[in-house]
Amino acid sequence: MNSAAETGSPIADARSLRRRLISLIAVGEVGVLAAMALLIAFFWLLEPAFLSERNIRAILNVVSFVGIIAIGQTILLVAGEFDLSVGSVAGLSAVVAAKLMTAAALPVSVGILGGIGVGALIGLLNGLIVVRLGIPAFIQTLGMLFIGQGLIQVVTGGYPVYPLPEAINTIGGADLVFGLGWSFAFFIVAAIVADFVLRRTVLGRNMYATGGNKEVAHLVGINTNAYKIGAFITVGALSAIAGMFVMADLGSGGTSIGSGWELTVIAGVVVGGVSLFGGAGTVAGGVVGILMLKVVQSGLVVIGVNSNWQQIAVGVIMVMAVGLDIVRRRYFIAGA
Amino acid sequence: MSNVSPQPLFSATAIAKNFGGVQALRGVDFDVVAGEIHALLGQNGAGKSTLVKILNGVHPAGSYTGTIMLDGQPVSFASPADARSNGVGYVPQEIEILEQLSVAENVFAGRTGLGDGVLVRQRRLEQRAGEIFADLGIDINPRAYVASLTSAQRHLVMIARAIVMKPRVLMLDEPTASLSGTEVDALFAVLRRLKAQGVAMIYITHRLPEVLAICDRATVLRDGQVAFRIAREDFDAETFIFSMSGQRLQRLFPEHAAPVGAPAALEVRHLTVAGHSGAVHGANDINLSVAAGEIVGLAGLLGSGRSEILHGIYGRVHAEGEIRVAGQPTTIKSPSDARAAGIALLTEDRKRDGLLFNLPVGANITIGNLGPLSRNGVVRSGVEKSSILAAMRALNVKASSPQASVTHLSGGNQQKLLFARVLMRAPTVLLLDEPTKGVDAATRHEIYRLVVELADKGVALLIVASELEELIGLCDRCLVVADGRIVDEFGRGEGGEDRVLRSVTAAQAERQAMASRVSS
Repeated sequence: MNSAAETGSPIADARSLRRRLISLIAVGEVGVLAAMALLIAFFWLLEPAFLSERNIRAILNVVSFVGIIAIGQTILLVAGEFDLSVGSVAGLSAVVAAKLMTAAALPVSVGILGGIGVGALIGLLNGLIVVRLGIPAFIQTLGMLFIGQGLIQVVTGGYPVYPLPEAINTIGGADLVFGLGWSFAFFIVAAIVADFVLRRTVLGRNMYATGGNKEVAHLVGINTNAYKIGAFITVGALSAIAGMFVMADLGSGGTSIGSGWELTVIAGVVVGGVSLFGGAGTVAGGVVGILMLKVVQSGLVVIGVNSNWQQIAVGVIMVMAVGLDIVRRRYFIAGA
Repeated sequence: MSNVSPQPLFSATAIAKNFGGVQALRGVDFDVVAGEIHALLGQNGAGKSTLVKILNGVHPAGSYTGTIMLDGQPVSFASPADARSNGVGYVPQEIEILEQLSVAENVFAGRTGLGDGVLVRQRRLEQRAGEIFADLGIDINPRAYVASLTSAQRHLVMIARAIVMKPRVLMLDEPTASLSGTEVDALFAVLRRLKAQGVAMIYITHRLPEVLAICDRATVLRDGQVAFRIAREDFDAETFIFSMSGQRLQRLFPEHAAPVGAPAALEVRHLTVAGHSGAVHGANDINLSVAAGEIVGLAGLLGSGRSEILHGIYGRVHAEGEIRVAGQPTTIKSPSDARAAGIALLTEDRKRDGLLFNLPVGANITIGNLGPLSRNGVVRSGVEKSSILAAMRALNVKASSPQASVTHLSGGNQQKLLFARVLMRAPTVLLLDEPTKGVDAATRHEIYRLVVELADKGVALLIVASELEELIGLCDRCLVVADGRIVDEFGRGEGGEDRVLRSVTAAQAERQAMASRVSS
C-alpha cells in the first residue's frame, strides 16, 4: 500500500475514488437505502400517488408496529439467537392487557404493565429454556408461537375484547406529527436508543461478541447466558408493546393481532443486513430493511399488482437481499 | 543449488498469480521427484499456500499463468477433486472434517460406497479404516464420532483420508501443527513408508527440525519467488532461518534467569479436573507454584492433561482444589473470576476459541477490556482507538487499520493480536497454551522475546507447548505431565527433550504395571 507515493496521478485518483466508493458500499445500510431509493423512484414513476401523503403515512404507520419488534429481533439476532414467537407474544400481550382493563376492571396503567409483563415473562422463559436446557431457539420459539396462539383463544374465548377504556382509544387516535401517533414516536425513540446501545456501549459490544463466538466471549469474562436471556426478554417486551399499540390503533383487543408477523420481521431485518448466524448487523439496518419490505408491499398495491404476486415479490426480495449481501461481503469487504 | 535430478514426477514451471493487483507468485519453478520429500519453506505471506492451492486445483487452471506437468504430461486441474482423481492428494492445515460422522466415515468421505454400489457397508468401512490406522500406528477407534476427538486426532484422520486415495503426489500443509512428539514420530514413519513406495511428497512446515529429520530437498520462497533451493547435504537450521528471513537470527531463545526469592504469584493445590471423551486426561491432584517473574513449562504429550490444568486454573472447566494468587486464597468458578484475580489465558486454537471473526481487529483486542475505556457503559471511541493503536504498536501487530478484518491477517499477526488482548489488563499470572502454534519463524522469535520481557516485569508465566525444544529453551523450570499427573520436574540446564520423554515413558510403564498387578 504505497498510495501516498502515487497520489496526483489520474490512476491513483481513480483508485482512491474507487476505494472510497467501496468503503461506502461496505457500510451495510447504504446498499439497502440505495435499493430502497430506486424502488421508491420506480413506484413513483409508475404511479405518482405512491408518494401521496396518505400512502406515506400508511406505510410509516405499519412500519412503526412491526418495526418495534424488529428492533428487539435485531438485538436477539446479534446475540446469536432468534425468536419465532414474537407475533403470538404481541397478540397475547394485547388481549391480556385488554382483559385486565375490561373484565378485571383494573386501571389502564396496570393493564399496560400486565401486557408488557406477559411479553417479558415469555421472553424470560424462552431465554431460560434455550440457554439452560440447550433446546434450539428455533424449536423453543416455534413451540411458543403455538402456545401463544392457543393462549389467545383461551383468554378471549375467540371473541375480540371490546370496548376498551377511553384512554386506550385516545392513545390509539393521537396525532403527534404528520398524522402519526404514539407508536411511531415510541418506535423512533426505541430505534435510536437501541442503535446507540449496540453501536457504542460495552453492553452492545459484548452482545456482538456473544453472538460471534459464545466460547470466546465466555473466555474474556462475558456472562453470555445473561446476555442471551436479556435479549430474549427485550424482544418479548418490545413485542408486547407493539401488540398493545395495534390494539390501541384498532380500538379492540382482536384475536388476530400479530398473527404472521414473525416471518415479516425476520425477513425485514435480514434484508437490512442482520445475520441469521449472529454477531452481525445493526438496528438501523434492520429497521431500514423492514421499511423497504413495506415500501415494496405498498408499492405493488398502489400500482395495482395482484395480491398473490405481492407475496412472491416479498420472497424474491428477501432471497435477493441476502444474496447481494453475500456478494457485497465477498467482493467489497474481503477486497478480493 | 541441487544437481540435475532424475525426471521429476510432478513439476510446476513459471507459475505466476496475482490477487487483485497483488502479485502473490512471480514465476516460481518447483518440482518433486518420485520417492522424495520436498520441503516448501517460507514465512507467512511468502506464497507457499498460493502455490499449493494452484498445484492442488483450489485455484483452478486459468486463474494463474505457467504450466504444471505430471509424469511428463501437462495437466490442468479444475478443482481439488480433479487433482485428487489425477493422483494429487492434499492434507490442508485447517481441519476440514465432518463433525457429525464417525471416524471411518470421515476417512472414506465421498467414497463411503467403497466403489461397489450405493449402499454404505458400515462394518467394512470401519474395518478398512481400522487397518489404515493400524498401518499408521494410530490408536483411534474408527467407530468414534469425530466430535469427540481432539484436534490432533482430527488431523490424523485427515491424513488418513488423503492416504486412503493412494496418491502419487501428496501435499502436506503443516501436518504436525497439532501433533505431539510420539504422534509426529508415527506420522514420520508413515511418510517414510509412502516414500519407499515412490510417492512424491511436498511438505510445508514452519518447524525446521522436521525438515532436517525427514526432507530430502528444500525450496525456500520469499516474496513470491524462489529464494533458495537447498540440497540435503547442505541442510542446517541456521541456513534455513537465514534464507527464510533474510537475516540471521542470532540466538533462538532470549536469555532469562529465574528470579531468586521472588514470592509465589500462583499456587495450585490438589487441582483436579475431569477428563473428557476418553482420549483426553483430566488433571489429577496437581500441585504447582509459579513465582513472580518465573517462566514455568508444562511438558507432556498431547492429551496428557496439560491444557486441562490451564483451563482448570482459569475457570474454563469445573475444577476441584485450591488456588492462591499472590498468597490469597481465590475462588475461581468462571473465567471472569480468574480475570478479576489477575489471571489471563491465551487459548490454543485461534479459530475456535480465540478470534471473533465478526469483529474487526480493534474490537478483537479490546473485547473484555472495555471497562477502563468506557464511561457509564458508553465506549469512548477516542480512548479506545488510541489504546488499540498503542497495543498494536507495542506488539507489532501488522494490520492496515483497527477496522481491518481479522480473517486476512497471517497466523503470526492473529496470535500477536490475541496477545494484545490478554495483556491489555496487565495480568500478574499469564497462562499460555501453545503460544507459537502455526506462526512463522520471525513471529515465533518475537513471542519468545515477549515472554521473557513479561517475566522480567514480574509476570508469572505458565506455558504449554508441544515443541519440547521450545519449552525447554524458554522456561526456567519444566514440569512433566503424564496421564493427568506431574511426574517430573527439572530446572533450566538440568535436562533436555530426552528427559521429558523418559519420564513420560517411565510413568506410563509404571501405571501399566500397576494396572496389570491390580487385574491379576
